[in-house]
Amino acid sequence: MAIRVNPKLINELEHFGSEDVFNCYHCGNCSAVCPHTDEFFVFPRKSMRSLQMGLERKLERSIEPWLCYYCGQCSEQCPRNAQPGETMMSLRRWLISRYDFTGLARLFYKSWKSELAAVIIVALLTGVGLLAYGFWQGNIQIYDGAGAFLPSSSIHIFDLAVGGLMFLFLAVNSVRMWWFIMDPKEQGIRLGLYLKKILLLPWHFFTQKRYAECESGEPGTVHIPWLLHLGIALGYVTMLILVMVFLHSLQAGPQIVWPVHVFGYLASIGLATGTIWMLHARLKKTRVQYLRSQGSDWIFVTLLFIITVTGILQHILHRVGLPFAANIVYVLHLMAVVPWLLRMPFSKWAHIIYRPLAMYFADIQRAVLAARAAATGSIQQVRHAA
Amino acid sequence: MQNCRIGVYVCNCGTNIAHIVDAEAVKEAVSKLPDVTIARSYRYMCSNPGQEMIVKDIQELGLNRVVVAACSPRMHERTFRNACKTGGINPYLCEMANIREQCSWVHVADKLAATEKALALTNAAINRVRYHEPLDPLTAEMCPTTLVLGGGIAGLTAALELAMAGHPVYLVEKSDHLGGNLARVDLTAPYLDSARDLLTERLVRLRQNPNISVMLNSQLKDLTGFVGNYSATVATHNGHELPQEKTLHVGNVIVATGYKEFDASRITHYGYGKLPDVITSFEFEEMLRAGRIQLKSGRPPQYVAIIHCVGSRSKEFHAYCSRVCCMTALKYAHEIKSALPDCYVSDVYIDMHAFGKGHEDFYKKSSEVKTLFLMYGKNERPVIRKAGPGDDCQMLIEVDEKLSGERIEIPADMVILMVGMEARPDAGEVARLVNISADKDGWFIESHPKLDPVATTTDGIYIAGTCVAPKDIPDTVAQARAAAGRILAKIAKGKIEIEGVFAEVNEDLCSGCRMCNELCPYSAIVFDEVKKRSHVIPAACKACGACVAACPSGAIKGRHFTDQQIYAQIEGVLA
Amino acid sequence: MSYEPKIVGFLCNWCSYTGADLAGTSRIQYPPNIRVIRVMCTARIDPTFVVDALAKGADGVLICGCHPGDCHYSEGNYKAMRRFPLLKRLLKSYGIEDERVRLEWVSASEGQRFADVVTDMTERVRGLGPSRVHATLLTDQRER
Repeated sequence: MAIRVNPKLINELEHFGSEDVFNCYHCGNCSAVCPHTDEFFVFPRKSMRSLQMGLERKLERSIEPWLCYYCGQCSEQCPRNAQPGETMMSLRRWLISRYDFTGLARLFYKSWKSELAAVIIVALLTGVGLLAYGFWQGNIQIYDGAGAFLPSSSIHIFDLAVGGLMFLFLAVNSVRMWWFIMDPKEQGIRLGLYLKKILLLPWHFFTQKRYAECESGEPGTVHIPWLLHLGIALGYVTMLILVMVFLHSLQAGPQIVWPVHVFGYLASIGLATGTIWMLHARLKKTRVQYLRSQGSDWIFVTLLFIITVTGILQHILHRVGLPFAANIVYVLHLMAVVPWLLRMPFSKWAHIIYRPLAMYFADIQRAVLAARAAATGSIQQVRHAA
Repeated sequence: MQNCRIGVYVCNCGTNIAHIVDAEAVKEAVSKLPDVTIARSYRYMCSNPGQEMIVKDIQELGLNRVVVAACSPRMHERTFRNACKTGGINPYLCEMANIREQCSWVHVADKLAATEKALALTNAAINRVRYHEPLDPLTAEMCPTTLVLGGGIAGLTAALELAMAGHPVYLVEKSDHLGGNLARVDLTAPYLDSARDLLTERLVRLRQNPNISVMLNSQLKDLTGFVGNYSATVATHNGHELPQEKTLHVGNVIVATGYKEFDASRITHYGYGKLPDVITSFEFEEMLRAGRIQLKSGRPPQYVAIIHCVGSRSKEFHAYCSRVCCMTALKYAHEIKSALPDCYVSDVYIDMHAFGKGHEDFYKKSSEVKTLFLMYGKNERPVIRKAGPGDDCQMLIEVDEKLSGERIEIPADMVILMVGMEARPDAGEVARLVNISADKDGWFIESHPKLDPVATTTDGIYIAGTCVAPKDIPDTVAQARAAAGRILAKIAKGKIEIEGVFAEVNEDLCSGCRMCNELCPYSAIVFDEVKKRSHVIPAACKACGACVAACPSGAIKGRHFTDQQIYAQIEGVLA
Repeated sequence: MSYEPKIVGFLCNWCSYTGADLAGTSRIQYPPNIRVIRVMCTARIDPTFVVDALAKGADGVLICGCHPGDCHYSEGNYKAMRRFPLLKRLLKSYGIEDERVRLEWVSASEGQRFADVVTDMTERVRGLGPSRVHATLLTDQRER
């Protein structure tokens, strides 16, 4: 069954940041230098090819973009300056918009202004709502305890609601991702295999081990982007857990609840270092992967930076005994947190769950392909139905 | 046979010979043969010191015969004959033994056998050279007029080059106009110059030059004579009248008859001739010259596909590459994108041959204007069919695409077939008329594929342009100028030296049977009615030896290829 | 000890000798049993040369010329072609095997073909065993 070539697809992808894709003449240097490509999943050349030819269904169902961590070596090696690394990035953005059933991701990628507007609107609504709530039931001079402007018990529920909403969208989109990639209608993969490999999910989630395998410097050195990304990721994951579950202890004061606060401080340091470094890297374009920053990249990092700064600041203000200032900064903090959380399923940040899922799915597919190869004596790609 | 003093030189040719043939052993063996005054083994006999060695030995040792066992005589016979001449003996007292091309290079596995063979061949040469006689060349006038066959870019260039040097040229063109295939082209790759400008420049200068006589609607009918002294009969068709024949006296001929494009209807699954918007590259050029890219229905295409290697690089049609089509296809991609920016162009190719100056950059530029390159396999073929009613295109091309590994359908409203170059159907006839050879594809054969690309094995006949092999404009012009340059060098010498090798009738032995008269393809043997003997005209004789072998009285001697010499050679190889 | 056939080749300068040179420049290998004698055209080849070669010890004789229609001297190869059958009949009547004397057309661009022809002929002549002509003549001479 022949697949129709669709030369129009590339026009769509340009909104997601792809450029110079047609320069690629398939020498394969990129796939040769990529540390993550293996006999089961060959990239980035194959993805470049599918994109050039507009093989939409094939791309929609591919895992390869998620297996890439944008070390940028492919772009450096490319003799035609076809930006394979950036193309993989744009494919990730495109896939996010595809998995998202609401269409918001697509809208935001097409227009960063609409995303910014949405962020600002949500921030303002949050701010107005919280101020109204605070003034209605509390005292702006009290940060914590009875009569607090923003009591932890209420905020706790608010956080869970926002988190829950985000989680809901993410869950639905993840199921769509599974449907596309694993193609359960055509490829019947046994539930047993899914269960067998389930531990890979938290493993990849917490260590991002594959990111460490990117090679950018001298052999034997640590891949700095991995380290810093790990710092940021573990930082906000920790903070999210603390906030969702231990907010009450976190917000309490002036005493320090060491088990909670230690994690909090460590996470804050990780976040502060990470976001400052990230902003610097994008501004100064220190590495190949930071040469091109889209609107959505800036929004994520800037919001996180604001969140980190306001988060630390409000804690300090609370500790030194300036509850009024602390509350104001708290409101600002939440004005940044809410849009940041809510935009997650519709933005690049969704990779927080897509990547580990992709690793997991990839490993399952590898097991299936290896079994087939052993049976037939050759490796065949899992062919998705046209 | 006088007292022979033979010098034998066994060349090592670096390691080319010495690596397989034991040159020292051969030298040692031949040095013991009778009449061998000196035998030497040396690295490169064709080098200056090598030749000087021969000169010195002739002068100091009184050599009167020289044998050089080395490469093919077709390579260096002239070199060693000149060395003999410099040394003071007649150049024909030299003989070569081919122990490289026909020995060391082809018997790599058996060094002993190769050495034995080298010895046998050298021995044969020594045997033969005893019977060599001094021969002197003949001189003849070199007519400065040149006949150029073909009025395309090659013919025009060559004619101008000769005419500008002040010599008369006859430019004979079969059709009714000059310009050849280039006149059918709009722009040229890779710099997108106008073909019309290129030709106009030539044509204007041609018209202004009184040395060039242009003969349109004309064909060569007969060519007799030899280099410097040809007699060409040209027939011109003037409409209803019978063709007018004119005899021209010329010194040299340049064959620049060009090519014909492959007939795309021979490939049925491209649907050429059936599907209305499947066209050839030349048909597309017509559109470009007219300034409008459109389908038969009149609207501009939204999808254009260009298919490479139509009739070329295929087992079924022609195995060779037609060289110009890849860049021409890219040129079309550019032209389509600039005329119709929203048109999607697919370039369906096997390999991208971007061999020349500016080609790789041109290829990159085509990527930058978003041409989609789709690769198919050699000897597999895309199939073109009509699209369905729901499709947004007229045709679909189905092919196994190599870079993605998928079987795909390419949408196309217009398909341009890059038809390859073929030898013209009359190429064989032209070859016979001027006495040159054509290979199995009909391309004319040059004297040496690397070292002598514009001359042929027939002195005075030169070939240039696409009639030799597919090539682009820069190479065609270079060859045309090269051929003209060779002729100018000859004309500058003024006289032509003809080798003193021809057949001679010994009148004492001739019985007057006249069997030889009809045998000669050059009508070089005449019968003297008075003496009742046959006689060979030396300048007309080309030394083929047909008459020598045929003469029942053995009265004809083939100079430098006498029976005696050949028998000596036979004995030598079998010793 | 198996014998090595000796084959004499008469090659015309323009096509077959050039073709043999091309086999050399292309490094196409073939058996070393052949020894080549260059003539300008196959028309020069007197049938006596062939007989002489056999008499002097050749086990096989190969004549190579231009393909019909391509002769540098226009029709020389046709003349060779006409002389050849008569020669073959003569040789046959002397009991000389048909495959010992061969006429082939090799063009200037056919290096591979030349090598193939030589290889094939060498093997066939090897299979026939040594030619008895030379030995018989020597015996006759001694007896006389």
